[in-house]
Amino acid sequence: MPELRGSFGDAPNHLLTRWFGTPDLHRLGVYESKAGGYSALRKALLEMAPADITSEVKTSGLRGRGGAGFATGTKWSFINRDAPGPKYVVINADESEPGTSKDRYILENSPHLLVEGILIAAYAVGANQAWVYIRGEYDEPYRMLSEAIEEARAKGYLGPKPMGKDYPLDIRLYRGHGAYICGEETALLESLEGKRAQPRSRPPFPAVKGAWGRPTLLNNVETLATVPWIINNGGAAYAKFGTDKSPGTRLLSVSGNVRKPGVYEVELGQSFRHVIMELAGGVTEGRSLKVFWPGGSSAPVLPASMLDTKTDMEALAAARSMGGSGGVIVMDDSHCIVRAAHRLLKFYAHESCGKCTPCRVGGDWAVRTYDRILANEGSQTELDTLQRVSDGLQNGRCLCGLGDSAGWVIDSTLRHFREEYEDHALRHECNVGGPPAASGRHLPRDRDEAASA
Amino acid sequence: MSALSPHLLAEIKELPARYPQPRSAVMPALDLAQEELGYLNPEAMSEVAAALELDPGYVEGVATFYTLFHLAPTGKHHFYVCTNLSCTLRGADEIVEHLKKAIAVTGPDAVSAEGLFSYEEVECLGACEFAPMMRLDRRYHYDLTAEKIDDLIADRKGHLPARRGGRRAAPGGETQDPSVAVEAPHPRPPVRKSALRAPGERVAREGRDVPRKKKGA
Repeated sequence: MPELRGSFGDAPNHLLTRWFGTPDLHRLGVYESKAGGYSALRKALLEMAPADITSEVKTSGLRGRGGAGFATGTKWSFINRDAPGPKYVVINADESEPGTSKDRYILENSPHLLVEGILIAAYAVGANQAWVYIRGEYDEPYRMLSEAIEEARAKGYLGPKPMGKDYPLDIRLYRGHGAYICGEETALLESLEGKRAQPRSRPPFPAVKGAWGRPTLLNNVETLATVPWIINNGGAAYAKFGTDKSPGTRLLSVSGNVRKPGVYEVELGQSFRHVIMELAGGVTEGRSLKVFWPGGSSAPVLPASMLDTKTDMEALAAARSMGGSGGVIVMDDSHCIVRAAHRLLKFYAHESCGKCTPCRVGGDWAVRTYDRILANEGSQTELDTLQRVSDGLQNGRCLCGLGDSAGWVIDSTLRHFREEYEDHALRHECNVGGPPAASGRHLPRDRDEAASA
Repeated sequence: MSALSPHLLAEIKELPARYPQPRSAVMPALDLAQEELGYLNPEAMSEVAAALELDPGYVEGVATFYTLFHLAPTGKHHFYVCTNLSCTLRGADEIVEHLKKAIAVTGPDAVSAEGLFSYEEVECLGACEFAPMMRLDRRYHYDLTAEKIDDLIADRKGHLPARRGGRRAAPGGETQDPSVAVEAPHPRPPVRKSALRAPGERVAREGRDVPRKKKGA
């Protein structure tokens, strides 16, 4: 098991990560004896009616941790528990938003936490079968989750009569094969059905017609891993954490130019100053913070001047950004924003599934425009083109949000760093550090310099 | 002669029954085929299609959509190096440059001598707190430095015999002259040179230049 970089151990706000770091926590015996594991499942199956479970999650105010932040309890209540025929719970473990590693952190440290959350959710919404769609590159998390499921099966926690309750429950895994778009719920369903992962138009929503045409609840790993705590302690206790509209804690994966990158559990409403400067130890020595992405690469950037922005979704919306996937990417002042945006646009262009024209065409168009600017062939025309392409990508013109995300990268970097764009496009110079390097940075970094020389 | 072994095709035929609808078996089946062959060629895709009673074009459509399916041979040890933002901010580009030299390949479509190594630049692998990082031999490798890359390569060169059974370096790879670097046969059109790119900038594998996902096809 790799070194833990992030939150673990006892702290008032460690609801998810309290027992992380306990030796062999991924073993069912340790999860039960040390972390009180499966007490929530026992309570849910043996003492609670399904509607009460959903109601408790509603009371908690928990919002989806995958990116959209939809109210989890409300989502659960969309599934008609009494509808005849199979229903499914599908878990989105296709974590691939740039800068986001929190689901891997959960899977590698406490896979039983997810298993327990899945089983509770399945029972609550009237499903007997859950499918975990896990990204293909997650070899170790896949192995650990498989082992956890088999341990739980052997112990009788899932199977025909989990904990003696006459309600069959089963969990199976399905491996993704490298497509960012599968993080989008309907694209994930297409992929699970053995198709090219291209988003569906909605309605019908997955709650009505999801996996294999059946009612389906889709939740993110972190969302379901939070459920056992809520069942054990009550929704009201959870709602005491965080803000009124964004209750609880969430995992923020902090990466980039910080001294202590890691996955930190943070009470929502804490400031990014606390997250970046204290938890993650501040930016690389001798540098200063330039910009950060507060919720994965899709979240519009915030410049250093907005470091006091709070982590709750309302505060981020007010700052014209979003909580997204909780991936906090930090960039210091030795890096060029135009090159960073170029890198991300190449990502979005590459990952566009090609179904909707604005995204399929817009991404490439933006990349070519950035290519021209960075080759010192830019002019006002290129700047105008970028703005126009950005507008075309945004505003919900596509079936999913991938195109919007690409547009936000352009729009937010242009908005906050207009001068740097003009340096490149109009004056054909880069005033970040020294002369532009093809690598996208301009000054030697502090670490590994000898190694890469 | 078929591309896939009879026992593998028998195994593939068992897959559809495991899913609510048989079509879901297509990716697990392609996985098995790739595991045996090392990559997916048109014959393998056709045989998977026949075993699953699907249209060959459909199976190819799926295989070409997902980046973990290789349409050309890779080295026995394939480096998936993350060059998305979090890793790039911590030196991923230098890691790629070093790796290319260390395994003596010209680019992501090439395979090193003896079919041992190849690499590709991939998007975020979800281990950003360990940046720069990569995936190699079904494991993540963290906090990469040039020395770590060298050690991993030396280690694998010291273990030349097959790491796992059944995987070949190239089609008919067992007869290849080990002294010659193997350029991967190219089922895709060559990368379009763009006058818009800065000199020296890497062009391969980005955007739509490589028709990994056949848009509108």
